[in-house]
Amino acid sequence: MGARAPLLLLAAPALVSAATPRAPRIVSINPCLDAVLVRVADPAQIASISAYSQDARSSSIPLALARRYPANAGTAEEVVALRPDLVVAGGHVAPATVAALARLRVPLARFAVPTTVEESVAQVRDLAARVGHPARGAALAARIEAAARPSRVTPLPALIFGAGGLVPGAGTLPDDLLTRAGFRNASATYGLARWDVLPLEHLVAAPPRVLFSVAAAEGAGGGGGERAEHHPALRRLAPRLITLPFPARLMNCGGPTIVEAMAVLRGARTRLGERR
Amino acid sequence: MSRATLWLLLALLLAAAGSLAAGKVWVPLDAWTSADPRSIIIVELRLPRTILALIVGAALGVAGAAMQGYLRNPLADPGLFGVSSGAALGAVCALFFGYAAQAWLLPLFALAGAAATMALLALIAGRSASLLVFTLAGMVLTSLTGSLTALAISLAPTPFVASEIVTWLMGALTDRSWDDVWLALPLVALGVAVLARTAPALDALTLGETAARSLGVEPRRLQRAIVLGVALTVGATVATAGVIGFVGLMVPHLVRPLARHRPGATLWPSALAGALLVTVADTLVRLVPSASELRLGIAMSLLGAPFFLYLLLRLRRRLA
Amino acid sequence: MSALATEALTLSLGGRRVLEEVTLTLAPGRVTALLGPNGAGKSSLLACLAALRRPDSGAATLDGKDVTALPVRERARRIGFLPQQADVHWDVDVRALVALGRLPWRGHGAAGVADRAAVERALEATAMTALAGRPVEQLSGGERARALLARVLAGEPEWLLADEPLASLDPAHQLDVGARLRAVAAAGAGVVLVVHDLNLAARLADSVLLLRAGRVVAAGDTSAVLTPETIAATYGVTVEVGVTAGGERYIVPVGRV
Repeated sequence: MGARAPLLLLAAPALVSAATPRAPRIVSINPCLDAVLVRVADPAQIASISAYSQDARSSSIPLALARRYPANAGTAEEVVALRPDLVVAGGHVAPATVAALARLRVPLARFAVPTTVEESVAQVRDLAARVGHPARGAALAARIEAAARPSRVTPLPALIFGAGGLVPGAGTLPDDLLTRAGFRNASATYGLARWDVLPLEHLVAAPPRVLFSVAAAEGAGGGGGERAEHHPALRRLAPRLITLPFPARLMNCGGPTIVEAMAVLRGARTRLGERR
Repeated sequence: MSRATLWLLLALLLAAAGSLAAGKVWVPLDAWTSADPRSIIIVELRLPRTILALIVGAALGVAGAAMQGYLRNPLADPGLFGVSSGAALGAVCALFFGYAAQAWLLPLFALAGAAATMALLALIAGRSASLLVFTLAGMVLTSLTGSLTALAISLAPTPFVASEIVTWLMGALTDRSWDDVWLALPLVALGVAVLARTAPALDALTLGETAARSLGVEPRRLQRAIVLGVALTVGATVATAGVIGFVGLMVPHLVRPLARHRPGATLWPSALAGALLVTVADTLVRLVPSASELRLGIAMSLLGAPFFLYLLLRLRRRLA
Repeated sequence: MSALATEALTLSLGGRRVLEEVTLTLAPGRVTALLGPNGAGKSSLLACLAALRRPDSGAATLDGKDVTALPVRERARRIGFLPQQADVHWDVDVRALVALGRLPWRGHGAAGVADRAAVERALEATAMTALAGRPVEQLSGGERARALLARVLAGEPEWLLADEPLASLDPAHQLDVGARLRAVAAAGAGVVLVVHDLNLAARLADSVLLLRAGRVVAAGDTSAVLTPETIAATYGVTVEVGVTAGGERYIVPVGRV
């Protein structure tokens, strides 16, 4: 801190902005954390959000809201220029960027990719505390927990079929969501690991009841999910196997997206419950 | 020093200055003095990044020029011996097993990969000084390490790790630090020195291997120097910046007319031109408006295709 | 006066015996031709003399010392070698090509005054001074051969070994290059040529070494060796030998033995 101290003293007037020590200035370089941030932090606190949040295909917040904040490309250079009190990032950041932020003594809080709803809720509370608004965090956490309350129905076998045939297995957030919504993640029957690619052959041989296929965002091309949707083999299974769309952006983020994800899943479970 | 070299040096200085000033955050000249907190960006981020760009560009330029002179083939590339691919595999292993948490482990793994590849090259190619045997051995290693890298990506525990690996492989100078500079500089300096010493031998090879040997060129010694020099320069580059292709392939072509086609005389101009190319490209990737910074390796590939198209058209015109 | 010689030189290539106990001495200041049918071992012998091949047993010696044991640079300075393949891999200009012959003298250093002077002398000796700035790819076959010869001459070696230096040249160029080679010998160097053409050998060479199946079957002055009897025994053809009005020897094959 020695060499920098005179620097900071000189720059002190510039650093004192609308943010106070209780409500620090935040830069987020992760679009999933952006979704939590816009709900728990004051707008004046948010110095910058990830540029991914301003892209419809990868954003977890409404675009109109996202555009109100300056965007960053996740490089230490941009972060340092904003002089934040805290940088929040996800579990996977380029090693060079992490090292650069550490060297420049910019506080960095990393939130690993949540693997359960509890983990995600804990992260929401943690982030809210760090931005100085624990009450808002508690409120959001409550909403998420309510949305994710386990259903008391007979679990139906289901599978989430992602881009390129990527299936989330046990120990992932989508797995937890399926279980809470009244499904049983069928990935175990195929012996899949945490994230694995499932060839259609195995799927057709022992199909689950529901296939949640990751539909492409509007306008963008389809991935394996769409191919699966339209594959002749699956269409022939149609009465037995039901294919439903599941937006990709609800898969991994956690946080507020859990509410929407659970709505989609529970809605499907309810309709299927009636059909049976 | 020739006029062309002076122009290159001038262009290089301008490019370096541009690289310091430019980016998503434009730092005006008056902010460079230490009173402005933005000077931290210049001193701790832009300056090491610019210097590393110069080092990496020079390293790849010289390695490419030396390879083309040694193999008597203007399409030779520093990656032919497999060292680049092996170094990349080392780094990928660090990312795969999560060791990259420590900032210095990734470059260390990459250098270990480069060294292991070099040792394997010597083992497979044996004591043969034959160019064909050596090139084939390099292909074997590139193939093997490339497959293992792809395997690592497919076996990645989560798609995020896979994405991290793929992103790293595309090469970048983003957020590099003085630590990376201190790692790359001695290795590249040594590698460039070793390759520079081969200049007379490369010139002699213009006449073919028999005449070169009669002029005093010792093929095995030359081969060891080339392999060592390329391993040091390319290994250090991959360790600090990932895989950046095409520089070693394009730059010697561009400077060859300046050097009057003498292979030994292409080495230093290739260093300057390579440094210039990478610095300019790295500045441009910072300016492209995209959600995340455009990867430098990608930018180089994008430059490579039109460059080779131009070469092809020029050759067609000449042969017609 | 340096002496280039071999002592019981034996060489096998690919399992085949190419040179068998060859012992000979070459004289400086003369042009010596190595003659013989295909596969006689002429090129291999030349390569051994230039230390480009290691014999299985015996040795090629320069002033009594094994050529392969000499320091590489000393050997490169004293023995110049002009290979048969006229490879030029890069489109350098003639002067740069000829300057390559000075590498054994320059090493890693820049070209000095002596180097530049030697290059100019070599260019002049081969009448290439006017073409010195031209890229090699733009030269005709004969000009290229002269440029490559100039490269060897630029090294000013004590011994000039050339493998088929006149093959595929026009008669005019053959005369030119031949005259240069004789001039080099006259200036004190030893010139050893592998040639196929009996007439060229007859005209250019002072001495002839006749090889057959890896052995020297005849050695001596050209007129003494190139007799119809010896040629019939070595090549299996009958020839007519004569002298032109200008005193040039000629040999004409007339039929098989």
